[in-house]
Amino acid sequence: MSSQPTPSRPGPDRRTSTLQKRSSVLPKPSSIVLDVSVLIAQHAQLTGTHAITVGANSVLHPHCKISSAFAPVVLSEGVVVYERAKVGLGIGDSGEVGGDSRRSSVASARDASSGRSEGTLLGNNVVIETNAVVEAAEVGEGTVIEVGAVLGRGCVVGKFCTVSAATVLAPNTNVPDYTVVYSGVERRLDKTLQARPELQEMKAFQHARQIEMFKKLVPNQVVKWM
Amino acid sequence: MAQPFPYTYYACDCFDSNTAASASRAAQTPADDEDARTFDPRSPRSNYALYPLEHLLYCEDCQQIRCPRCVIEETLNWYCPSCLFEVPSSVVKSDGNRCTRNCYNCPVCTSPMTVSSLEKPTEPSATGGPYILACPYCHWSTVEIGIEFEKHTGITNQLSRIANGGKTLPTQKERDKERERRKEAEARGGIGGRDILSGSEDSPTRDGEGNAAPPGHDDIFSNLSAFYKAQMQAQTPSNPFSPHDLNFSSPSTYSRIMNLYSSTASKKQKREKPALMREAASALEGLALHDPASDIAAIERIKKEGWASTLSPARKLAQLNPHVRFDSELRPTASLLCTKRGKRCRSCRHILSKPESKITSTRYKIKLLALNHIPRLSLRALSPATTTTTPGPSHPPFNYNALRPGIPIHFLLHLSNPLFDPIRVTLATPSTTPGAIASRITILCPQFDVGANTDVWDDALSSSLSPIAKRSGDAQFEAGKIYDRGRNWTAVVLEVVPGFVTPLGGKRDEADGDVKGGGEVDADLLEIPVFVRIEFEADVSVEERGLGDSRGSKGEKERREEAFWTVLGAGRIVDV
Repeated sequence: MSSQPTPSRPGPDRRTSTLQKRSSVLPKPSSIVLDVSVLIAQHAQLTGTHAITVGANSVLHPHCKISSAFAPVVLSEGVVVYERAKVGLGIGDSGEVGGDSRRSSVASARDASSGRSEGTLLGNNVVIETNAVVEAAEVGEGTVIEVGAVLGRGCVVGKFCTVSAATVLAPNTNVPDYTVVYSGVERRLDKTLQARPELQEMKAFQHARQIEMFKKLVPNQVVKWM
Repeated sequence: MAQPFPYTYYACDCFDSNTAASASRAAQTPADDEDARTFDPRSPRSNYALYPLEHLLYCEDCQQIRCPRCVIEETLNWYCPSCLFEVPSSVVKSDGNRCTRNCYNCPVCTSPMTVSSLEKPTEPSATGGPYILACPYCHWSTVEIGIEFEKHTGITNQLSRIANGGKTLPTQKERDKERERRKEAEARGGIGGRDILSGSEDSPTRDGEGNAAPPGHDDIFSNLSAFYKAQMQAQTPSNPFSPHDLNFSSPSTYSRIMNLYSSTASKKQKREKPALMREAASALEGLALHDPASDIAAIERIKKEGWASTLSPARKLAQLNPHVRFDSELRPTASLLCTKRGKRCRSCRHILSKPESKITSTRYKIKLLALNHIPRLSLRALSPATTTTTPGPSHPPFNYNALRPGIPIHFLLHLSNPLFDPIRVTLATPSTTPGAIASRITILCPQFDVGANTDVWDDALSSSLSPIAKRSGDAQFEAGKIYDRGRNWTAVVLEVVPGFVTPLGGKRDEADGDVKGGGEVDADLLEIPVFVRIEFEADVSVEERGLGDSRGSKGEKERREEAFWTVLGAGRIVDV
């Protein structure tokens, strides 16, 4: 598939013969806007009808799934999405499997107007760890969504937050800046990070080094999606 | 102990060996005398006596099983669970039962904390930057209480010198010196005008600020302990065994000696009783008066910072100073040390289990398990379908939770012998189970042999036990015959007729829908008490030989016999 000489994308019917076995049956996104420095590993899936935007230096690990089936997805700079993580509305349990139920949830997505435009926005340097499910409306910069966490739709998570492993956030929860959500329902303010901006800088620095490492180790298949 | 059916519990002898128990038993009704001989798994006392075989140890000297209540534990060594460093017990006695190296737990979420450096990667400092303790889970760190460390080792020492907010804490020596100095200053200042709440008058520089802040928890403690030590020293004579020791520092000795040498009447009124021990009378001695201003300050603080800044009771009590109220007063808690323990028999002090002294190894040097000395009984249901052909998928598995009353059910009791000698087993069980629901139990073969636990090859080469041909698949259970046997195991059949949960055609006494017989919990549980007696001939060990025996007799066998009660949990009877 990567040996296509023509830069224009062929239509869907001609594409099916060269489909990878594991890609989803949803139509390819109408527009994927990728920065040139993005790293997309093989077997990553970007699906859906709405727009997907991926900012500079982002890393999408193998088998991660970005779905814009119901709403556009925007990943800012330096976002790292680990393996088997899912980003996008309707990708978790709130979106049922199956075609006709998809129609109904699309309709409900349009009806349930929460006053903000539907979509998922991940801020700079956000890390979505393995097996997390992010249907949230917005995740602020520097936040870490740890392994297996589930963010319901419409969640708004502030910046430099930490959602610890296996935490489930109900839909439409609001997590203020610098909050650590741990132990199920407990929350506390991460005063260390709040009080020391140099710690934030250090985090950003280490994050950048990690992205460099990924670029060296993970083969890049971004040309497939350009 | 909830286990899935079928299970086997063994009764330890400790439940009825006391004289106190027999005295109380005499007061019981005659009906209970019957139960005193047979084991009643339903009595409340048997709750404490029944254990699965894996929980039991065996004492070879007493030749009895030992349950966890009959053993004495003793600690062998202490170690910290996070750094796995062994702490000698002398250090534990002096320094306490917490790790004194770098292992701290987060006061908020109790997870282990890591030492991290605050240095900026762009400007490396000499020592690696100031260090902090940070919790990787809830992201609490010592930055929140204002503590930073210079080195990344010896955190305990550094922590004991810093109070929250960065002020230094005095060490024990400094405190003593300061206390002495203040005492002299007060004594010099005179007795009059000594108000407890205000400081002493002629105190130079430091005391100005020292009295503004109330003495901290550690200060009060050190003052009080020094005061009590001084009091106790004054009370007890330095050397009680030498009355001629002229030690005048102790008032009691002084007065005693003076009384010896001056017994004239004129001196009698001068004879004073030795000074009684008194309580602390000043702040320097550890008296901490409650100051209502501190309460008001705390309330103002709650108003300003909100409820979230106060501590929950669990977090408070885990702190060294349980009277802190606010989360700026939290301190990291050192990890508690864990122990490695050995177990001894309570009566003869024989070591039953002893782990290796190496901390990281989980093996045992000595391990006297009941598994290796007591035959293992296990129960299995024998439905007619399973005896014929191999049960196909159409046969449902036996449901232990739904035994039907009135219909005889056959169970297979499997005994396996761990000893190296063949044993003769005698089983006994009351004909009906004790309790509200009487089920009839019959053991078809109450006396049989079980082979020795020899090697597989030994058995194949010799043919002491003639191999019994595999059962030809008939469903006849003959009384007096075993069902099957193997190298070191034998299986016999148990026939059980479960009783009826509600009496047949009887009236239901309970108005509510609970139809369990007698209103007992678990009355429909079918538990079969079985008394097992094994006899075998064992080699006489060296310690057991009497003094009169000649040393030359080796290979002499002695008859040994052991007996214990077991309870076989067979299932639950449904109400038909």
